[in-house]
Amino acid sequence: MAARRALKAVLVDLSGTLHIEDAAVPGAQEALKRLRATSVMIRFVTNTTKESKQDLLERLKKLEFDISEDEIFTSLTAARNLVEQKQVRPMLLVDDRALPDFKGIETGDPNAVVIGLAPEHFHYQILNQAFRLLLDGAPLIAIHKARYYKRKDGLALGPGPFVTALEYATDSKATVVGKPEKTFFLEALRGAGCEPEEAVMIGDDCRDDVGGAQNVGMLGILVKTGKYRAADEAKINPPPYLTCESFPHAVDHILQHLL
Amino acid sequence: MAAWGERLAGVRGVLLDISGVLYDGGEGGGAAIAGSVEAVARLKRSRLKVRFCTNESQKSRGDLVRLLRRLGFDISEGEVTAPAPATCLILKERGLRPHLLVHDGVRSEFGQIDTSNPNCVVIADAGEDFSYQNMNKAFQVLMELEKPILFSLGKGRYYKETSGLMLDVGPYMKALEYACGIEAEVVGKPSPEFFKSALREMGVDASQAVMIGDDIVGDVGGAQRCGIRALQVRTGKFRKTGKRKRRVNLGPAHYPEVTSDNIWGSPFQMFRV
Repeated sequence: MAARRALKAVLVDLSGTLHIEDAAVPGAQEALKRLRATSVMIRFVTNTTKESKQDLLERLKKLEFDISEDEIFTSLTAARNLVEQKQVRPMLLVDDRALPDFKGIETGDPNAVVIGLAPEHFHYQILNQAFRLLLDGAPLIAIHKARYYKRKDGLALGPGPFVTALEYATDSKATVVGKPEKTFFLEALRGAGCEPEEAVMIGDDCRDDVGGAQNVGMLGILVKTGKYRAADEAKINPPPYLTCESFPHAVDHILQHLL
Repeated sequence: MAAWGERLAGVRGVLLDISGVLYDGGEGGGAAIAGSVEAVARLKRSRLKVRFCTNESQKSRGDLVRLLRRLGFDISEGEVTAPAPATCLILKERGLRPHLLVHDGVRSEFGQIDTSNPNCVVIADAGEDFSYQNMNKAFQVLMELEKPILFSLGKGRYYKETSGLMLDVGPYMKALEYACGIEAEVVGKPSPEFFKSALREMGVDASQAVMIGDDIVGDVGGAQRCGIRALQVRTGKFRKTGKRKRRVNLGPAHYPEVTSDNIWGSPFQMFRV
């Protein structure tokens, strides 16, 4: 680590790292304040296909976190940025709750497809419409490619299988925008005026948070809260830069060793 | 062009794909492709043996044949090799009880099959029945099995209806494969077993048969892998890849013997049928 440059930015995962469902990780608000007292830029980064920034912000405010909307970067933001960069008009196969994050985006006469977790849209006619757009050359942008998720009534299909279906039908590859994709982390740092080597990522998902961040040259800190299970840190090579108890411990380490 | 005669020399039997070659499905049953009714009639009058080899899995064989007869084709149920009956044979052989993710139109083919307490999943072209709920149900059945078995009736990417191109069973098969981390067993074209049973039923060796279809993978590639010559027609799903259109690379390169505008293009004049 001798050649590392001074730390300029810290990316923090939300669910599982700052809070677990409707409870804050003990000491997390205080730790965030300590981090804010330094000059580092802070971004809150999360994979979500249905919660808009506004939804996330409201939950965090209820838990008394000092966070502003422009500090939040989600996989939906990443999708929106890509849509704007490509200057396309997307057919939005996303949950209605995610629509506010696409406000102002032109969607008439679509020439692109954005796909998240949207069971209500995943029926034959809608997917066939998306398929025909893709055959005509529209790009396919996937929020993420999770295979399935856990619901109260058991396992349920995630967006991944439907992305795969459209990829196979059109012999094309989706651009996946969420963690652990490289572009996700690079986009989150955009506007911060710093390089990945000057940033650290804190999260509870060894592969998606820590592995993804380290793949672009950031330092990754794994916290043992949220979805963390014993020995998760062994899942990636090279291993996490640091594995620690929780977000407050991660902040302490940053204050003592990286600044 | 002069090579057609040589390329098709010694052919004694013709395997005909149905959708995209004889007709395009759609509103009110669909429409015959121009010239196909006459072409089938002329083939049947010739010395050539004819068998229909289809991946149709949304309709029962009976319904398909009734529809084709209504469109003017000379065809009977006994002349059709289709994946649903082939699947039933496999299920019986292996003592499997399927959860069926299929269109109501083909359910009658599985009438004699025990579907209680399922220990495998059968997926066919379910069309409108490919809802999230139905896909999720099939997924849950697979995930509860110690050794998940998935049968797919064909694995086509899409087919043509009169209203445009439609997603076929293949994309949905891939979705379940990806979700469960498994590989499906394909019953239908391009599986060699399926072509072999069609040849057996026609009573012609692979080297003496030609397959006519619109699908470069399912029809052309599948037939050629069995040593059957293949002819691709430019009807059905056949697409010219324009500048803006996505070029669908349909897998390892298959080179049909001849590509013709319809099955009554010049290649068949070489037979003098």
